[in-house]
Amino acid sequence: MSQNRLESHSGVAIDFTFNGKAYQGIAGDTLASALLANGVNVVGRSFKYARPRGIFGHGAEEPNAIVQLGSGAGTIPNLKATQVELYQGLQASSVNGWPSVNFDVMGLIGAFGRLMPPGFYYKTFMYPKKLWMTYEHFIRKAAGLGATPVEADPDCYDKLNQHCDVLVVGAGPAGLVAAREAARTGARVIIADEQSQFGGTLLASKQQVDGIAAPLWVASLVAELMAYSNIQMLPRSTVFGYYDHNFLTILERRTDHLGLISTRGARQRLQRVRAAQVVLATGAFERPLVFAHNDIPGVMLASSVSTYVNRYGVAPGNKLVVFTTNDNAYQTALDWQRIGREVVAVVDTRSNPCGDTVAAVKAMGIEVIAGHGLIEAQGSKRVKRALVAPINEAGTQVTGAVRRLACDLIACSGGWSPAVHLSSHTGAKPEWDASIVGFRPGDSKQQERSAGASRGTFDLMGCLSEGASAGAQAAMLSGYGDGNLQFPAIAVDEYSEQPQQALFLVPHTKTTSRAPSQFVDFQLDVSASGIELAVREGFESVEHVKRYTALGFGTDQGKLGNINGMAILANALDQSIAETGTTIFRPSYTPTTFGAIAGRDVNNLFDPERYTAVHRWHVEQGAQFEDVGQWKRPWYFPKQGETMQQAVDREGLAVRNSVGILDASTLGKIDIQGPDAAEFITRMYTNSYLKLAPGKCRYGVMLKEDGMIFDDGVCACLGDNHYLMFTTTGGAAGVLAWLELWQQTEWPELQVYFTSVTDHWTTATVTGPNARKVIAKVCSDIDLSSDTFSFMDWRDGTVSGVKARVFRISFTGELSYEVNVPAHYGRHIWEALIAAGEEFNITPYGTETMHILRAEKGFIIVGQDTDGSMTPADMNMDWVVGKNKAFSFIGRRSLQRSDTVRSNRKQLVGLKPLNDKEVLPEGAQVVFDAKQKIPMAMQGHVTSSYYSASLGHSIALAVVKGGHKRLGQVVYCPLADGRSIASEIVSSVFYDPKGERHHV
Amino acid sequence: MSNGIKLESPLFYFQSSFNKSTSADELFNAEAECGLVVKEAPLSAHLILRGDSNDIAFCAAVAETLGVVLPLKSCTYHQEGNTSIYWLGPSEWLVIESAGQAQIIEAALRKALKGHIAIVDVSGGQTCINLRGVGVATVLKKSTVYDFEAWDLATSNAGRAVQTTFAKASAVISNRSDGSYDLVIRRSFVDYIAQWLLDAGEEFGCRIEQG
Repeated sequence: MSQNRLESHSGVAIDFTFNGKAYQGIAGDTLASALLANGVNVVGRSFKYARPRGIFGHGAEEPNAIVQLGSGAGTIPNLKATQVELYQGLQASSVNGWPSVNFDVMGLIGAFGRLMPPGFYYKTFMYPKKLWMTYEHFIRKAAGLGATPVEADPDCYDKLNQHCDVLVVGAGPAGLVAAREAARTGARVIIADEQSQFGGTLLASKQQVDGIAAPLWVASLVAELMAYSNIQMLPRSTVFGYYDHNFLTILERRTDHLGLISTRGARQRLQRVRAAQVVLATGAFERPLVFAHNDIPGVMLASSVSTYVNRYGVAPGNKLVVFTTNDNAYQTALDWQRIGREVVAVVDTRSNPCGDTVAAVKAMGIEVIAGHGLIEAQGSKRVKRALVAPINEAGTQVTGAVRRLACDLIACSGGWSPAVHLSSHTGAKPEWDASIVGFRPGDSKQQERSAGASRGTFDLMGCLSEGASAGAQAAMLSGYGDGNLQFPAIAVDEYSEQPQQALFLVPHTKTTSRAPSQFVDFQLDVSASGIELAVREGFESVEHVKRYTALGFGTDQGKLGNINGMAILANALDQSIAETGTTIFRPSYTPTTFGAIAGRDVNNLFDPERYTAVHRWHVEQGAQFEDVGQWKRPWYFPKQGETMQQAVDREGLAVRNSVGILDASTLGKIDIQGPDAAEFITRMYTNSYLKLAPGKCRYGVMLKEDGMIFDDGVCACLGDNHYLMFTTTGGAAGVLAWLELWQQTEWPELQVYFTSVTDHWTTATVTGPNARKVIAKVCSDIDLSSDTFSFMDWRDGTVSGVKARVFRISFTGELSYEVNVPAHYGRHIWEALIAAGEEFNITPYGTETMHILRAEKGFIIVGQDTDGSMTPADMNMDWVVGKNKAFSFIGRRSLQRSDTVRSNRKQLVGLKPLNDKEVLPEGAQVVFDAKQKIPMAMQGHVTSSYYSASLGHSIALAVVKGGHKRLGQVVYCPLADGRSIASEIVSSVFYDPKGERHHV
Repeated sequence: MSNGIKLESPLFYFQSSFNKSTSADELFNAEAECGLVVKEAPLSAHLILRGDSNDIAFCAAVAETLGVVLPLKSCTYHQEGNTSIYWLGPSEWLVIESAGQAQIIEAALRKALKGHIAIVDVSGGQTCINLRGVGVATVLKKSTVYDFEAWDLATSNAGRAVQTTFAKASAVISNRSDGSYDLVIRRSFVDYIAQWLLDAGEEFGCRIEQG
């Protein structure tokens, strides 16, 4: 049995290590309770002064016991030992305190504590600026905020979207009865609690509820709730954020208590809850008292001492002094006395405490020292004695002689602060209430209400009745029940309590600035004198003081120290706490893992990969793929031993000299039907479609209102009032949304319907001088002669036994047939075409060759040669703009703006490097004078650049200021390596400028 | 189909390469029914129908031609025999006919319907998969933000249907009278969705069944 474990408490033994040393705890322990049971005093070092620190609390408020679990890929930094459930083989270490928590070299610096006032880092490490990164590294190492794993996280995390009528946050007394009232009405209820067991404070309570011990009452109520099918109970689940529209996020820890790496399922689950109504029953945090050296190990919260004794069977010391401003903490003296350990005294700042619990303590023969303050704790790694002195009524001055009490444990209580964090996330401003000496939740901004201690109601009876009412009301407002309570009132023992004293800083015989440090924020070593100094240096706003002193910046986010800190600030500013206000609480309530936020959207599931129906064929042929939007498109098809350049040279030459085949299925396709279809399409494109006959296609460019090119493609007339619009691969969804936007919001009078058919069709482009011969072999019912089926026509027919639609569109400049069949026949038709083309050495080619072939022809790619600031005229495509359209088209007016008509706009031209094997880098800047000093006058940039095997030299497309009038001039592209490549400006059409090859 | 013409459903390759259950230990090698079973429906005719739901003649002609009353209530579907009509929007429906040919249905509808309408064959672009098993409700919660628990149960000829996001793709999701769910998904996203489902269903044991 460990030294501090009570004999009455037993359980299955669990082995664990802390800072490399082996210990034993028992099932049900947290790491903190197990450490206390083993008498471990020092668990960490403070942030700035590296003072030894011990376990102070028992939950989310713990500032000192910050640990790192495990090592390697699964290591987890910055957990609170009070929230880590013990499991067999757990390995923990302190996150700060190098080389060891018991001998810390940084602790020597602590001796010079007065040399490190607030704002120390800002003041000391400010100059020279360039060294800040070096300083920061040193500071972080010194502070030791844990180590991030460097390997990929081996664990699985996922997300669940939940909907409920009533979400109850917190399963203490108020939350449990709220959930019961709501569940009874039939409403869908979720109740979440961050602890492993439901019950909250009742788990450590010695009170009787409904005639039985509180923990037993909790167990029966939990069993009752589990019987409802309409309730989800989530233990180990922290509601960490409350966002607009009653959307809340819960971090559910599913396997953390079983070991470091989950063997099955998700380690943590992010529950995203949309709740009609919310009940916040988040409880309250006990406030420590701020006295000199209140951070020595052995000083704890009174409620924490009681929790360790009553719930975990651990007595964290022997000789106890209780220091309080209220009746509540007297319970701790009773608990300590009951287990047979010595209560040295209860020190009460009030002059005449006389409540029921006070009387009970006195009846035990325990000394109550009223009207006194515990002004200083003494000891180094453990409390050895407490200095006690009489203080005045206001609690501002020591008025008499100091008395020394030998002890090894000080339990302090400065009252309770409602946990208003989640209510504060909604934008509700916490309101100071002097009667409870704390902030209550502000007026609701959303469909929520607080109940119990989180609302400032601290007695059990009040918590139960408020919780029940809140549950019934929330259910009613979500459409269930009539708001009346369904269950009878619960009987509990009641004690009468006297008012507490509001005391935020315990006076010392010396002034605050001269007294030993009186800590407000333990983790970041913010002391009362530091806050007063900040005020003397001119800081007034609570938000500024927070940032200057780092008050509330630690992983406990000020849960312990905030109220005391603000009260000390208010006093220094000589104003009320209400006037001073509090800092704003934001999500996350407690730290949340990135894994849970990412969920399953990782690795292969990070972004969808879209495949065409022919994808597997490409894979089988060893294609290399390129991402185009979400699509995987074949980039090139290397043969054994070929480089990419060799492959694309071969593919390009095959198209120019015989025949190639391209999977063009990814192009966006929109079916357009309705009596006003032609009119609508004509308004969207720059040219007219009013006279486009069935069987015909036309190329068009779409502009945004600013006159800039936004998409391009071919549109075919399929029949009366029926069209098929092709878009770019990446632009498909955007174009459909654009069409719907204009139809629905601007021209609802136009009768036209749009339907995406991108996925329906598989498109195989057969292109090259032998294309017709290939098609002729698999299609007998279309007359392929150029007189009847000419360029920019389409025909329905049968290809290899499948009904197909064949378009004569060309993006290569060669004779081309685009064969479209429903995608279920995609692979069949592809293989039929490959077989038919075999005698012509039909060559599959990918996007790279497609880009080269089109660049040889000067065909633009929207998004590569354009960037949202190019007009059709800039692209030398004035021919595509209809000048005589009856109705305007989108972007038309913008084409007349002074800026869009000026002559020195960047214009599309061809570039032919003087060294004809040199390939310009895409994106290279164009200048007219290579010898100009930096900064040079940049005249444009290269948009596309390739080596053209068909032409035997490299080519590029570029946009150059006034380029259309600069044909024949030599320009330069200065490169990062100091070279400058000279090129001649030429026509953007390099190959077959008269277009004879596709008109055959 | 005859004459050597090969038809491939969107899930064709995925089925052949993942023809085993993934999963959660006790189901991995067992014969036990998996918590999530994914099964692709046989290839069917899928058509998008557009028209004016306020036009009584239009609604009557659709019912007459397809033998199914056009659902006018948002997010519902009607089914008779092999034919289902899903409400997708105030003027948009999805018709799925498991035993028919799209061209024949399109021709019949064009003959019967007057005025401003649209009929589009999208059979090649999508597929219908069924999700069944004890894990389905949770898998839906992992994959979409929609509240399926709020739906009334489906009957044999009517139910609820919603077009929404599914993981990072989109789907038309409907409930069936046997408690299972149907997902109509786009062909190009099928491999992604199948991988997503195998992953999401792993905790229950997941199997993709041959269609």
